Amino acid sequence: MGHAAHEHYTVTGVDNRKFAMWTLIGSECFLFGTLMINYILNKASTKINDPAIAKYLIEHGKKPFIAPTDVYDIDLTTISTFILLMSSVAMVLALDGCVRKNLKNFRLWTWVVIVFGLLFLGCQAYEFNHFIHKGLTLSANNFGASFFLLTGCHGAHVAVGVMLMGSVLIRSYLQPDWFDSVVVEVLGLYWHFVDVIWIIIFTVVYLLVYV
Amino acid sequence: MSQTNLSIASIYKYVVRGLSALSFAFLTGCFEVAPMTTIHPVTEAGRDINYVYALTTAIAVFIFLAVAIPVVIALVRFRERPDDDGSIPEQVHGNVVLEFIWTIVPVILLIVIALPTWQVIFKQAAPASEKALKVEVIGHQWWWEFRYPDLGIVTANEIYLPENTEIDLSITSNDVLHSYWVPRFSGKVDCVPGHVNKDKFTTPLAKLAGGDYYQGQCVELCGLSHALMRFQAVVLKAEEWQRWVRAYKEPPVVVTSLEEQGSKIFNMHCASCHTINGTPSADLDIVKVGPNLTNFGDRKKMAAGIMENSVENLHRWIRNPGKVKQGVVKMIPYEEILAPQEIEAVAAYIRNSTVRKF
Amino acid sequence: MTGFFKEVWSWLTTVDHKRIGILYGASALLFLLIGGTEALLMRTQLIVPGNDFLTAKAFNSMVTMHGTTMIFLVIMPLSAAFFNFLTPLMIGARDVAFPRLNALSYWIFFFGGVLLHISFVVGQIPRGGWFGYANLTSPTYTTDLSVDFWAMGLQVLGLASLIAAINFFVTIMNMRAPGMTLLKMPIFIWTTLVTQLLLIFALPVITVALVMITFDRKFGTGFFDPTLGGDVVLWQHLFWVFGHPEVYILILPAMGIVSEILSTFSKKPLFGYSVMVYSTCAIGFLGFAVWAHHMFTVGMGPWANAIFSAATMLIAVPTGVKIFNWIMTMWGGKIRFTTANLFAISFIAMFTMGGLSGVMHASPPIDAQHHDTYFVVAHFHYVLYGGAVMALFGGIYYWFPKVFGVYLNEAMGKAQFWLYMIGFNVTFFPMHFLGVQGMPRRNFVYAADQGWNFWNFVCTMGAYLTAIGGFVFIINVVYSLWFGKKAVGDDWNGRTLEWMIPSPPPVYNFAVEPTVDHLDEWWHRKYTSSGTRTDVQIEAHVDPSTIHLPGPSFWPLVMGFGIFVLAGGFFLDSYGATISIAGMLIVIISGYAWAFEDNG
Repeated sequence: MGHAAHEHYTVTGVDNRKFAMWTLIGSECFLFGTLMINYILNKASTKINDPAIAKYLIEHGKKPFIAPTDVYDIDLTTISTFILLMSSVAMVLALDGCVRKNLKNFRLWTWVVIVFGLLFLGCQAYEFNHFIHKGLTLSANNFGASFFLLTGCHGAHVAVGVMLMGSVLIRSYLQPDWFDSVVVEVLGLYWHFVDVIWIIIFTVVYLLVYV
Repeated sequence: MSQTNLSIASIYKYVVRGLSALSFAFLTGCFEVAPMTTIHPVTEAGRDINYVYALTTAIAVFIFLAVAIPVVIALVRFRERPDDDGSIPEQVHGNVVLEFIWTIVPVILLIVIALPTWQVIFKQAAPASEKALKVEVIGHQWWWEFRYPDLGIVTANEIYLPENTEIDLSITSNDVLHSYWVPRFSGKVDCVPGHVNKDKFTTPLAKLAGGDYYQGQCVELCGLSHALMRFQAVVLKAEEWQRWVRAYKEPPVVVTSLEEQGSKIFNMHCASCHTINGTPSADLDIVKVGPNLTNFGDRKKMAAGIMENSVENLHRWIRNPGKVKQGVVKMIPYEEILAPQEIEAVAAYIRNSTVRKF
Repeated sequence: MTGFFKEVWSWLTTVDHKRIGILYGASALLFLLIGGTEALLMRTQLIVPGNDFLTAKAFNSMVTMHGTTMIFLVIMPLSAAFFNFLTPLMIGARDVAFPRLNALSYWIFFFGGVLLHISFVVGQIPRGGWFGYANLTSPTYTTDLSVDFWAMGLQVLGLASLIAAINFFVTIMNMRAPGMTLLKMPIFIWTTLVTQLLLIFALPVITVALVMITFDRKFGTGFFDPTLGGDVVLWQHLFWVFGHPEVYILILPAMGIVSEILSTFSKKPLFGYSVMVYSTCAIGFLGFAVWAHHMFTVGMGPWANAIFSAATMLIAVPTGVKIFNWIMTMWGGKIRFTTANLFAISFIAMFTMGGLSGVMHASPPIDAQHHDTYFVVAHFHYVLYGGAVMALFGGIYYWFPKVFGVYLNEAMGKAQFWLYMIGFNVTFFPMHFLGVQGMPRRNFVYAADQGWNFWNFVCTMGAYLTAIGGFVFIINVVYSLWFGKKAVGDDWNGRTLEWMIPSPPPVYNFAVEPTVDHLDEWWHRKYTSSGTRTDVQIEAHVDPSTIHLPGPSFWPLVMGFGIFVLAGGFFLDSYGATISIAGMLIVIISGYAWAFEDNG
């Protein structure tokens, strides 16, 4: 993360680190785009491949198929989406605290970002667990596999974001005069991007099922 | 009405023919017709492709000359001479007119290629007529299965077709990707597991009694013995075709006691994977994983077209197929199970009793 | 520490873009030796019909690793060597935007190459083709670890390329010398820039595809297994959405190099510079719209075939513009036939031939006959070998004096050039004939009665000739490093900024940040508009300690190793997860150490 104080001269006027993050985001758009296309192509592939799960479903009077509507819990996902949205608001406030060198606000809102991020991950862990109990394991069918791949990849991005924000928090405790707002801004870009991607996933994966 | 042939289109045709004849001589030299050649098609579908190819080759040769000649001139004319005065040449930065020309000329040439291309694409893609002979092509690691759903015939590695008949192919795979290709008939079509691809063409007239042979091969990497997955397409005269279809359903003719012994061994050891029509092996209600051997005695080649259909080769194959074709595991080395005399017997049965006179 | 270990340590911890460029180049040439050997083994197997020099398994492995190595471990890193060494010098910068990230890219690449080649040690060499078509790669049809080595190796190499691409994109956008507007950048910088964009947008697609194949193999998903509801054609789409831009990733840097060389040795500016820039961008953009021309025979239907064939033909237009502009660059100039220029001129001819056979394949009916035959092998070797590799060798001869301060020997260079040029054409031109005669690719053996015997023999002889050329090059490099003619700075009467500083460049590159007024700035400083030589001299050395530079760092190497360990865990059944987690910890720890390192 380098030295805080001096920002180098750049041609575009945008700090190198910020520019790099924007570039990474461009690349990530293609990553999530590919994962989403994969999900859309596979979501009708609902026949259970795992014979043990198929047997279990039949024994419980069901057909050996699991479709999105069989497992999605829109209430839970709406709540977790709201939490992630709010974490983006907290991210804005944390950056504001950092820019104003207001240590109290900076730490407080960084804490909020981390806690909300962890809450979101908790919801996702609960959701995954719930799906698996219903028989939708990773290898159950390709709808499940593409769902876990897409949302799992997003979850991993949130986890990385939480870790990075955790590092910022630790640094602010170790070095209370550390207010490298470019670093926080770059992390903010990342966090907002991950948030925006979730809105798209939420729409494509959860909402469009009910349309 | 004028009888002259000198319309723009005909001039164009002659220019194309001339240029393509030149480039053909260039590309093919003085070779005899190779069995897998792509430029001596015998069907209309193949000739359509070849026309586009000839046209494109002619244009390609033209463009290459348009590049190569100026390069050579530049290299000769503008080389730095030993007595160079050290001055620098005029620093030319570009020329809008020239650059416009070599943007627009390629566009025109590409349109000339694109139009017949699209014409052929859509012509090939149109469905075959109702009365076409339907054949299903199924790729296996590493052999070919051909099914005639309307005739109730299943055969392997040699596809028999009547002359001058439209053929409606449905192409798929039983395991991994393969690609079906008889270069002298038409382009290749991939055998995609889970998909059925279509191809159609009209067979040429047969010249030889006993059928004209055209070679085919798998052209998509399909594992270890990808190179050893060939087949023959046999175009029969109309009356021979009729006889072939009838003969295919008849039982094999067992003459000698060796063949009799072989027939018993076949039914015990081979019938769970292979079928010979008119024997108990044809009545088993199971999916056969091996090639159908009903007309093995007629086939020129064996083991998916990789060797002559001879007694020695068949012995070699039955003794240890994995040694002849690497990666074959579904058929075990029978030298571990059968005595040499038994292998001789079953080979005699498979080769001699399955000759379907047609 | 003794001097030797100190030297080794300084290379392991270097963050200097010039040294990293040399590391990339040396690694790429080492892999070229491996990939070339693989090619020779294949050609030796095919020298006569029915040969048993290689087994089917060994041959398929050579096919796969030759392609994978040449693309991911030779042409891409050799281009990266030029990106690294030249980008900051050509744009007048002190280093790249993120020097330590740059070192990280190299080390991840290095470990990715190592990972791929561990498959040789354990005898489970990838053999499903460089394109790894499903479902041959499924656990049903490939039971050993060969596919995993290929998938994880590519995954690691992709990460390296992505990091480097972001780094160079930011460097070029943000760190140009004052006055160097986008349309005053050397054309090589433009091709570099577009290449980075292609990498940034194409790599994530192959990343997802490789994750999916790994999930299929490790966790029992069925993305590419038709018996589990998957689709094998999906793999082909994902692979070629990456794979076709990849082709331009390989060729665009070569085009940039050729443009620079031709211009210098004709003593003329690049003809139609701005059109060259636009055509580079157009090629990059269209490169994303043509992937399915690799799939004309897969059964996409007539409309898809027609549209992708049109898009593919369209790409020939900007490419053709480039070719004629190169010719006009030479036209009216004073052409010097240095080795570098010979390679560059041969690029025009070879690339044109490859491009023209490419136009043939853009027509689906023709492609249906040529697809997967030696005609296609001839086509892409004309583009990637006669094209990219020849240009890269031209680049080596051109910038060698700048990099090492000594010229490569010209006599040996010309010997190598002619051996390559003749050897290459003797190898690959007859492959057109073989393709027209229907010889399929990737066949470890062919029958004697197919009419293919003569030309196969000729091809193999050509390959041996090329191999001799390769040895001449090795001898040339060793000889020239010791006894080569000394270079000082402006070694070829160059045009771009790297020639205004001494050879080899001092660690700080430019003592004074240059200000740019013109395209070909250095040329404009040397010559007045009337063509008379000014008395401008190359920049003098200054005391490096007066210039602040980023310090060396050990952590990129450690983090690269961590990623290697993380990926390596996927190959072990019993402790695999533990080892992967250990690798992840190494990555995290080195990340923190990196962040808190005082690196100026």
